[in-house]
Amino acid sequence: MATASSISATLPATKLRPTGAAFLLPQKAALPFRPSKQPSLLSLSTRNNKSISKSSISCCAAADSRSSTKVQELHLYEINERDRGSPAYLRLSQKTVNSLGDLVPFSNKIYTGDLKKRAGITAGICILIKNEAEKKGDRYEAIYSVHLGDYGSISVQGAYLTYEDTYLAVTGGSGIFEGVYGQVKLQQIIFPFKIKYTFYLKGIQDLPAELLGDPVPPSLQVEPTPAAKACESGATIPNYSN
Amino acid sequence: MACTISLNTISCRAQSRSCLVLKGDKSKLPCLISFSNSLQSKDFKISIWSDQKLPTARSTRGLSTQAFFWNKPKPTSRQDEKAQELFVYEINERDRASPAYLKLSQKEVHSLGDLVPFTNKLYSGDLQKRLGITAGLCVLIQNVPERKGDRFEAIYSFYFGDYGHIAVQGAYLTYEDTYLAVTGGSGIFEGVYGTVKLKQIVFPFKLFYTFYLKGIKDLPAELVVKPVAPTPSVEPSAAAKAAEPQAAVSNFTN
Repeated sequence: MATASSISATLPATKLRPTGAAFLLPQKAALPFRPSKQPSLLSLSTRNNKSISKSSISCCAAADSRSSTKVQELHLYEINERDRGSPAYLRLSQKTVNSLGDLVPFSNKIYTGDLKKRAGITAGICILIKNEAEKKGDRYEAIYSVHLGDYGSISVQGAYLTYEDTYLAVTGGSGIFEGVYGQVKLQQIIFPFKIKYTFYLKGIQDLPAELLGDPVPPSLQVEPTPAAKACESGATIPNYSN
Repeated sequence: MACTISLNTISCRAQSRSCLVLKGDKSKLPCLISFSNSLQSKDFKISIWSDQKLPTARSTRGLSTQAFFWNKPKPTSRQDEKAQELFVYEINERDRASPAYLKLSQKEVHSLGDLVPFTNKLYSGDLQKRLGITAGLCVLIQNVPERKGDRFEAIYSFYFGDYGHIAVQGAYLTYEDTYLAVTGGSGIFEGVYGTVKLKQIVFPFKLFYTFYLKGIKDLPAELVVKPVAPTPSVEPSAAAKAAEPQAAVSNFTN
């Protein structure tokens, strides 16, 4: 079990996010993808100029060409409570400064966006790509999954920058997320202990209400409810991953 | 008598098949839908038995499905959607400390257990613009002595600056060309699927990729270029190497 002090010794020498409201200010170039940054339900825009008429009969989503573009937003919080031995910083580059070659397997707890229920865990690996000295942070390639108990899992891959928000690709899913595609926005609240995800998911059925509670806006003080932290019955999703 | 027939159990991802799901218990249209298709011609027929007991058979060709209920045609399956080609060069200029060969197997010969994180520079197919980087991991699977090379499982992403990124996964054989899966993307590549052909020019310094991308809007003109033919001597233009503003995409990834 890693203690807080041992984790801080092994963590890259980067920062807590600025205190106060700084993180609420728009980031410089944090959201670079202007074309389709904020998918909305109005983006029933078609691909290849084809559309699906909304009748009582619809085509199986898995088979059509992804022209059904209903986007569902899923909000989740990833919280490192320092009780899972995570992260495991493997300094395989054998250099004093973070360098290509360092690998960081990790696994943290996931709570629903309203922070009322324990949903599961994240599990995967961050591959250090580059230390960005002038940004006082690092670039990682992150490949991991979000496991959500009986509901299934979502797999993602993309850039994790310790100094700014990023979008990762949703590469697939299982259970109710089978066939999912889209992207997910990763917002760091406190590096590396609190992260807020906003998934923009397509290609799946309507998400259960349990996962769609009103998300708590990200701030430094956000905490899961005591019941969720304790995984009391009623404060978890069915068979939450652990 | 309403009927609902769910064809979800049919593998909707099979080649050139399309899958029809009737929803809505209130449908007053009892019907039986069967279809067959020919893989060669990509025709398929939909036979619909309405409550008049008259089969209405239609055959279709190519991309559009003139099915009975829909107002507008749609592609019959993901296989039929037209792919966009994207050409890029990945070049290792040896200034990114890449690759980092981690001989975790602790054997002299390349063995399962060795990991190779890497990151290289990415240029447009005409070698006139710096696009960004590749970044990811090669997992050594086996050494292939008779081909004098190795098999890796590669999981990595291509970063295109403000445009977004493409995530790929698949086999990387140091001794021959391979196809990898495009697993997803972000930005303009959000929702992308398809494949990418990896062609080694000079192992491991120069690679040429041909992406076959589906599921996204038309690529911006800046990325759609006529590629330079891959030969061992290809080099990016001096301006692209220096990443001068007119020779690089917006906020090119570095």
